[in-house]
Amino acid sequence: MTGIGEVALWIALLVSAWGMAMAFVGGRVDRGDLVLAGERSILAVFGLLVVSSGAIIAAFLGNEYRYNYVAGYSNRELSVFYKVTGLWAGQTGSLVFWALLLALFSSLVVLQNRQRNREFMPYVAGTLLGVLLFFLVVIVAASNPFKLLDFTPLDGRGLNPQLQNYWMTIHPPTLYLGFTAFTIPFAFAVSALLSGRLDTRWITTTRRWTLLAWFFLTNGIIFGMMWAYVELGWGGWWFWDPVENASVLPWLTGTAFLHSVMIQEKRGMLKMWNVLLILGTFLLSIFATFLTRSGLIESVHSFAQNLTIAWIFLGFLSFLILLSAGLVWWRRDRLQSDNQLESFVSREAAFIGNNLLFIGAMFAILWGTMFPLISEGITGQKISVGPPFFDRVNVPIGLLLLALLGIGPVIAWRKATARNLRRNLAVPVGVSLTVGAILWVTGVRHVYALLTFALGAFVLATIVTEFWKGTRARARIEGENAALALVHMVQRNRRRYGGYIVHVGLVVGFMGFAGKAFYVERQAAIRPGESIEVRSPFGHGYRLTYQDMSAYPATNMTKLIASVRVERDGVRVGTLTAEKRSYRQREEVASEVGIRRAWNEDLYLILAGIDNPNGVLDGTNRQPLATFRVLVNPLVPWIWAGGFIMAVGTLIALWSTSEPGRRGPPAQARQPAASRPRRPELVEA
Amino acid sequence: MQKQRKFVAGGVLLAGVVGYLMVTGMRDSMVYYYTPAELVAKSIADPSVHELGVKVGGRVVPGTVRFDPQTLNLRFDVVDIATGRTRFPVRYQGPLPDTFEEGRDVVVEGRLTSAGLFEATTVLTKCGSRYEAVEEDLQA
Repeated sequence: MTGIGEVALWIALLVSAWGMAMAFVGGRVDRGDLVLAGERSILAVFGLLVVSSGAIIAAFLGNEYRYNYVAGYSNRELSVFYKVTGLWAGQTGSLVFWALLLALFSSLVVLQNRQRNREFMPYVAGTLLGVLLFFLVVIVAASNPFKLLDFTPLDGRGLNPQLQNYWMTIHPPTLYLGFTAFTIPFAFAVSALLSGRLDTRWITTTRRWTLLAWFFLTNGIIFGMMWAYVELGWGGWWFWDPVENASVLPWLTGTAFLHSVMIQEKRGMLKMWNVLLILGTFLLSIFATFLTRSGLIESVHSFAQNLTIAWIFLGFLSFLILLSAGLVWWRRDRLQSDNQLESFVSREAAFIGNNLLFIGAMFAILWGTMFPLISEGITGQKISVGPPFFDRVNVPIGLLLLALLGIGPVIAWRKATARNLRRNLAVPVGVSLTVGAILWVTGVRHVYALLTFALGAFVLATIVTEFWKGTRARARIEGENAALALVHMVQRNRRRYGGYIVHVGLVVGFMGFAGKAFYVERQAAIRPGESIEVRSPFGHGYRLTYQDMSAYPATNMTKLIASVRVERDGVRVGTLTAEKRSYRQREEVASEVGIRRAWNEDLYLILAGIDNPNGVLDGTNRQPLATFRVLVNPLVPWIWAGGFIMAVGTLIALWSTSEPGRRGPPAQARQPAASRPRRPELVEA
Repeated sequence: MQKQRKFVAGGVLLAGVVGYLMVTGMRDSMVYYYTPAELVAKSIADPSVHELGVKVGGRVVPGTVRFDPQTLNLRFDVVDIATGRTRFPVRYQGPLPDTFEEGRDVVVEGRLTSAGLFEATTVLTKCGSRYEAVEEDLQA
């Protein structure tokens, strides 16, 4: 039964090759029937990949350990839950999953554009099928999930314990949705380049796809941070691990793109830049997949090295780079700006600054991530580049971005006057200085943290002012009460106000990052009855008393659980447990941390070591000495809150009216900025 | 045109800032990875290596592990995996790393003092290939 899955993969490969040819030829010779055949191929490939993915899941559920893949990631004891997620637990399955999601999005594009964008669709369909074809070739040539072992083991190897966490169902799919969705704007950009239709239409028509991709990628990254925080047991949420870095690279270029397209829409500038950004974002998504799948760089995510996959991916990446560069060079005349930058003190300049910073951060992270590989390849010397490098470069860049985040939305297009700046920035600058001064007086001396809070306050003040001014003006003009005016204002311009809300989330998240500057750590080996005391930066005194250690032997692992009573400022607030699990079969030890969350700080308890654990198991060691690491992580909850606010903001922006008909006439009908009325925020639909 | 040149200069300035951060950042955070034999050879040739933070991959020599669970002082010797000859003592302060055992391959990060003692800030145990390698595993 599951054999059908492999057949489906092969058919999907043939159909995508055939469909790609049909779509490109149909577009070239203007034959609608051929184009339609291409578009239908996408739907067919999607159906075939559903069959194939279903077969993989069925093989997991049916304990078919003759499949190498199933044997490697499952065993009889594994819960049904993780058998289903087995589809993306390992390399070969996750590539099928990648292709499945891409086929899903591609099908949606086909269905969405049966009437619209017909001039783009031939090459869009061709490009999407090309990418699908690539993944299918990788799968059947180098990473077949249906590969059989030459014997059938009685049981599988089981799933890595660190993956047995509910985030397993959430984090990888969200990230993949982000990576794959960026293929849609990429395909439209390629189509625009091939057909020469390089006005803003390819951008406006894919705006929601770009935002959707960004939404998934952002959340995927944040979910990964949450997972790392509870599972890896190091007390942190970000480690500058190569695979983490790889997921941030397309996020940075994608974020730059979301901003720079506004300049093209408003001022007809940066056309070539925007094309390059979206091509780059897609390339980096593929690169991220390559880095993870090839296992070339050691990482917490590392999959086994697979050089065949590495070479195929490298070939594909080189092809894409050459293709992109060639297309852009060929169309360079049509990618000229309509306007020129007029002043440093303008919104355009702020956006360009923002873009350069995003790209700078991207190159720095790319460099730091690839450096060990490059160095080893060239000089044979292994060198690792640790977190200090990434912090050193990215913290200042982040602070500069934060400053621009406050300035950008309130500064005028073209050329801001001194009056414009004074009127819009006086209050926020005052708020910012006040916050900085208060923190200084209360004893905060950490420069980066001070700057983060002061600049964050600046950004929040500009955003509140924007909301306030817009609401007040609307309330006056429409005669509505303030609440109604606020709702209507946001509804009328969801993209803009949704964007502001994303900014608020980012600021809150940044403040959460800055909390790291104040974390407190204590480590001690104690016996039951003894305590560890820590004082948090918010002035709370925590007293953790080690109560007892209990052992839970099971067939596949042994758990040792320490329970610890927590008192805060002398008041008992609960009990935390921290565990150590030893997995026999895999010779692995995993820690489960105990976290007490409050709105402002997390108390984070790690059971770092147990003296004579075997004695605990057989009952001879009744007062086991245990080593605990206790951390107070200030403001960590703000990171998650910031992520949530960003998600809400993105959803509001996503809801925006992007159909050309509903948004009012596109670019050519827009008024030049100079003749616009004085309060542009009220008329920009 | 004059104006455009000004903007190019602005862009170059920004790129310069990022470049500066990268160069200084690299200088301060590069960590060399050596085998015990390489490290000892390097430190004889160039004593400044003693000041440098390095990572060393070696094997824990059986019979040399001493750990005090009360003070969390850990001492053991590592030996070069390939040659089996060059060895030096390692000192580490902290809980015993998970799956730490005699005879296991470890990566220690820290610096080799001129007295020949390696002061480690982290000790990582290598747990082979955590993923995949299924076939050898199952057929073995």
